[in-house]
Amino acid sequence: MATATSSSVDDGSPPPESGYPGGGFAVSTDNSSRRKLYSRLFYLLCVLISGLSVVVLGVLLVSIGWQGHSRLTWDLLQNSHSELNPDSAGMWPSIVGSIFICGICAASALPLGIGTAIFLEEFKPNSKPLRMLHSFIQLNISNLAGVPSIVYGLLGLSLFVFMFNVFGRIQVNESSGTELFGVNHYYQVLSLAGGGHTVLIPQEEEAEKTIKIDAPTQAVDRDGQKFELAIWDPASGEPKPSDPKVRERTVRKGQGGGSYSETKWYYLRLPFGKSFLAAGLTLSLVILPIVIIASQEALRGVAPSLREASFGLGSTKWQTVRHVSLPAAMPGIMTGAILAMGRAIGEAAPILVVLGAAVAKNSGPQNLMDNVVTMPVLIFNWAGRQQAAYQELAAAAIIVLLAVLLLMNSAAIYLRQKMRVG
Amino acid sequence: MKFSSFASSCLIALAVVSTGCDKSSSNTDAGGDSTAPVTESNLVGTIKVDGSSTVQPISNAIREGFIKEHPEVDIIVSGNGTGNGFKSFYDKGTDISDASRPIKGGEFEECKESGVEFVELPVAYDGLTIVVNPQNDWVKELTVDQLKTMFVGEEAVKNWSDVDPSWPEEAIQIYSPGTGSGTYDYFHEVLAKKSKKELRGDMNLNEDDNILVKGVSDNKFAIGFFGVAYYEENKDKLRAVPIVNPKDEVAYEPTTDNIASNKYAPFSRPLFIYVNTESLNRAEVQTFVEYFLVNTPEVSEKVGYVRLPEAVMAKAQTNLDAVKTGTHFVDESGESRSGALTDLFVDENLVK
Repeated sequence: MATATSSSVDDGSPPPESGYPGGGFAVSTDNSSRRKLYSRLFYLLCVLISGLSVVVLGVLLVSIGWQGHSRLTWDLLQNSHSELNPDSAGMWPSIVGSIFICGICAASALPLGIGTAIFLEEFKPNSKPLRMLHSFIQLNISNLAGVPSIVYGLLGLSLFVFMFNVFGRIQVNESSGTELFGVNHYYQVLSLAGGGHTVLIPQEEEAEKTIKIDAPTQAVDRDGQKFELAIWDPASGEPKPSDPKVRERTVRKGQGGGSYSETKWYYLRLPFGKSFLAAGLTLSLVILPIVIIASQEALRGVAPSLREASFGLGSTKWQTVRHVSLPAAMPGIMTGAILAMGRAIGEAAPILVVLGAAVAKNSGPQNLMDNVVTMPVLIFNWAGRQQAAYQELAAAAIIVLLAVLLLMNSAAIYLRQKMRVG
Repeated sequence: MKFSSFASSCLIALAVVSTGCDKSSSNTDAGGDSTAPVTESNLVGTIKVDGSSTVQPISNAIREGFIKEHPEVDIIVSGNGTGNGFKSFYDKGTDISDASRPIKGGEFEECKESGVEFVELPVAYDGLTIVVNPQNDWVKELTVDQLKTMFVGEEAVKNWSDVDPSWPEEAIQIYSPGTGSGTYDYFHEVLAKKSKKELRGDMNLNEDDNILVKGVSDNKFAIGFFGVAYYEENKDKLRAVPIVNPKDEVAYEPTTDNIASNKYAPFSRPLFIYVNTESLNRAEVQTFVEYFLVNTPEVSEKVGYVRLPEAVMAKAQTNLDAVKTGTHFVDESGESRSGALTDLFVDENLVK
């Protein structure tokens, strides 16, 4: 765009003796005044182009602010999505979900990306086959940076959500893949108390997914205390127990129950299924090439004389990287990381593929394998609704998303400045 | 130093999240110590729902009421589309599948192959509204045959005057939902299923119904179609065309009454949930589905759809109680049946 505009202003023929830019001589000739004019024109063009992007951004912000300002309330920040009263709907779970996913994403992509960049820049091999491998990796990374994110979403689906079905599949009523830790299996059986009151019976056989209660058995209450579960047989003519406490510990004869998995917060299983862990790792694939390329550029920008001086003092390669190159390149690396995280927090397509389009959730993730709602998906859902209330909510949610992004970035920029000074 | 600061920021984030994790939803009523029932519900478990984005608001709203009564049940309602929902359903990825059309023969076969048995429960009506621009003063009503000439096949007419000579000689601009949506499927089924043709390929397709609303309201010579909920919200910008019922030759508007009484035919469609019978063994699913059937009439109306006749709801309840598996909408040879819900949703048509 810039070149197109510039060629329309500039007639394309550079002055024959283009020496120093814009008026370096005191002698005034025809030529120099024309060159000065060009210089001014070019300066104005640059101002115009940068102004244009600022104007576009301004228009966007103003229109979003106009549409969403009325919904910027505490409700928006505290409540969760509501279908029955849109006026009090909010986005708290999605803010938490996005932060969690971005945390996983940063924790996995930044070390990997920066490490890869150090390898590619500082440890260049000398032998021919290794050099070829090196350039092959380099070529791939440069190309991966341009792959649409939905493709990464599909990759994440096979790699993290299903793990190519190597560890079994996650199916309702059948299997939960390979569970590593943090889970107890019970049967849940409705008691006589009604109103959704149930008792839990420890599950002995994992393959047996259902149970039928025909005889008194051992059960546990919600505090983990064991008790003897009583049976009431309507056919026996005995009256139904009337005491609520007894009812809570009695089930109807022949009552069926299905399996229930009680999970701790550190519950882990393979494959990851539609969980925020899988989503975070998928996003880390999306931003990995960006992080690597930005870090490489930053490392390339470190003057070779610094490294040579370090070697001259007798440091090893690792010491040079650790104490010279990396600290000098850190501000640039941080800039790349900030840009990448900005992309990650606003990414909707891979999340839709990996997590699905659920928006109704009342909290952040309860365990590592829990599904979450993210801000882009919620905004996508709200923006497509017919009610005006949701349209306004979508605009307000965009403002919140930008604010969260700004907060994250300012924290990173603050860190970057501190490193510069240090 | 970088890592220590990262770790500390992680800790801060964790602290923030853990303090705010138990934020319950927008409970306007303080659901605390109001005249509590004798026993608090301690129902637990996870229910996975996926399918039509048209039905998603109903399931979301039902979920909202349900978790007020049973706060510990986790219900994930996704809306990836009817077809994708059925795919997850026969892959045993979900307990309940939301659908804006009955199951198709192919999907039913897949269910049989993977051993998924289900109970088919209609939950609401959705009227498919044909809309024109308010400035359009020539279209008073449309017959199904007229719609066919406008929408079906590559030989579909180009100008309004080709449908009726008294209409203006201007090109028809058509706005339609995307081909992946149940709405498009339903429209296609009504107009072109019997003739084994496709809808015309030069329509403006968009998955976002708001774009369709905008397209029709900005263009005098436009026509479009989508679910009645969108029309209800945009009545000021659009005009719904009365459709001539092929049975009694009278044109009916897509009003709530006309949809519920099945006069607005053939464009009122039923919405369904399909429940995996194995999941019904689980107390949380059983309780949720029963709650769904009891509350869906009011809730569907709240989110912009039309309640089903009581006879149909009673039949659905009977089928659930008896766990009658199978579908009423695919015949023995795997062909989809066509007709009104009230005629098809009977025991004779149940195919296992």
